[in-house]
Amino acid sequence: MPAWLEVAIRSICILIGLFIITKLLGKKQLSKLSFFEYIVGITIGDIAGSMSMDLDIRLTEGITSILIWSLFPVAISIISLRSKKFRDFVEGNSTVFIKNGKILEDNLKKEKYTIDELLEQLRKKDVFRVADVEFATLEANGDLSILLKRDKQPLTIGDVQKYVPEEKEPQTVIMDGEILDEPLATARLNRGWLKKQLDQMGVAVENVFLAQVDSYGQLTVDLYDDRIQLPEPQQKQLLLASMKKAEADFELFSLQTNDAEAKQMYEQQAKQMQQLIQKLQPFLM
Amino acid sequence: MTIGSQVKQSLANMKAIHATLQQLALTSTNEEAQRAFHEAMLETEQMIAALKGRISTLEREEPQYKGM
Repeated sequence: MPAWLEVAIRSICILIGLFIITKLLGKKQLSKLSFFEYIVGITIGDIAGSMSMDLDIRLTEGITSILIWSLFPVAISIISLRSKKFRDFVEGNSTVFIKNGKILEDNLKKEKYTIDELLEQLRKKDVFRVADVEFATLEANGDLSILLKRDKQPLTIGDVQKYVPEEKEPQTVIMDGEILDEPLATARLNRGWLKKQLDQMGVAVENVFLAQVDSYGQLTVDLYDDRIQLPEPQQKQLLLASMKKAEADFELFSLQTNDAEAKQMYEQQAKQMQQLIQKLQPFLM
Repeated sequence: MTIGSQVKQSLANMKAIHATLQQLALTSTNEEAQRAFHEAMLETEQMIAALKGRISTLEREEPQYKGM
C-alpha cells in the first residue's frame, strides 16, 4: 500500500472517530471550557494530527491514547454530576470579591487578582464605580459576576407596572415559504387560520420568508420582497380604542337621556366598561 | 342623527369588541390571558343584552325610527 493511501485512510478514519468523540463530550464543552477541558481538547487534536500523518505510530497505540484522553473527561463529568464534593474539587469554587459593597482584599490576594484587574473586569460589565456594586464573585471559569445595588439596577417592566402578564415564546409557522405544521399546532392554530390571515394581508405563502405567531395569536411576516411594507398587527390596540369609545358612548348617553332608569343603566355600563379596560390593559399593551 | 341610531352604532361597536375578545380568547396561548379575555367577553355579552333592551324601548317610544 502506498504511503499516501495509508495516510488518506488513516485521516478519514480519525476524522470520523473525532466526530464521534466530540459528540460524546457533549455541548457543554463548547460554551464553557474549563482549563482542563481546554487542554484535553488541544491534546486530542494533536494526537489525532500526528496519528494521521506519522506512519511510524502504530494505530493501536494512537487509538489507545485518544480513547484515554477522551474518555477520562467523560468519566470526570459523570462523577461530577453525582457528587458535589468532587465537582468542587474538579471545577473549583467561586470566590467572593465584593460583599456588602466592600472589597475583600484577602480573597483578591488568594486568587492573585490585582485591584486593577478587578476594576477592568467591572468596567467590562459597565460598572465604573465600585460603590455601585453590592456583591461580586469570581466564577470558577474566570468570569466576574456582579450584583448591583438595588438603586443602581436597570429598570424593569415589573418596577413600573404592578401586574405584568406572562408572554409565551413566539412560534415560527412559515420558513422559506413552507408552512410548519408542528409549531402551528403548538400555537393551537391550523392551516386554515394561517391562510385566512395571509389573505387578509394580501400575501401568498410562497412569498413569505418567515412568519411568527406571538402568544396572542398575532401574525408577523417577513417577505422575500423587502420593498413591500406590511402593517404591524394592531388588533389589540384597536380593541382597546373601541373599548374606550364604548365607555365614552355610554357616558354620553347617560348625560343625554331624561329617562331615570336608562340613565342609571348607562352609568352602570360605563363603569363596567371602565373596569373592563383596567383589567385588560396589561394584556393589550 | 337620532339618539336611537347612535345607540345602535354603539351596539355595533360592542358587538365588534365582543368578537375581537372571543377571537383573542381562542388564539391566545397564555392561559391567564385566555381567561381574562373570556371573562371580558362574557361581560360584554351582558352589556350587549342591556343595550338591546334599551334600543327596543327607544323604538317603542319613537316608532318612526324603527329598524334604522
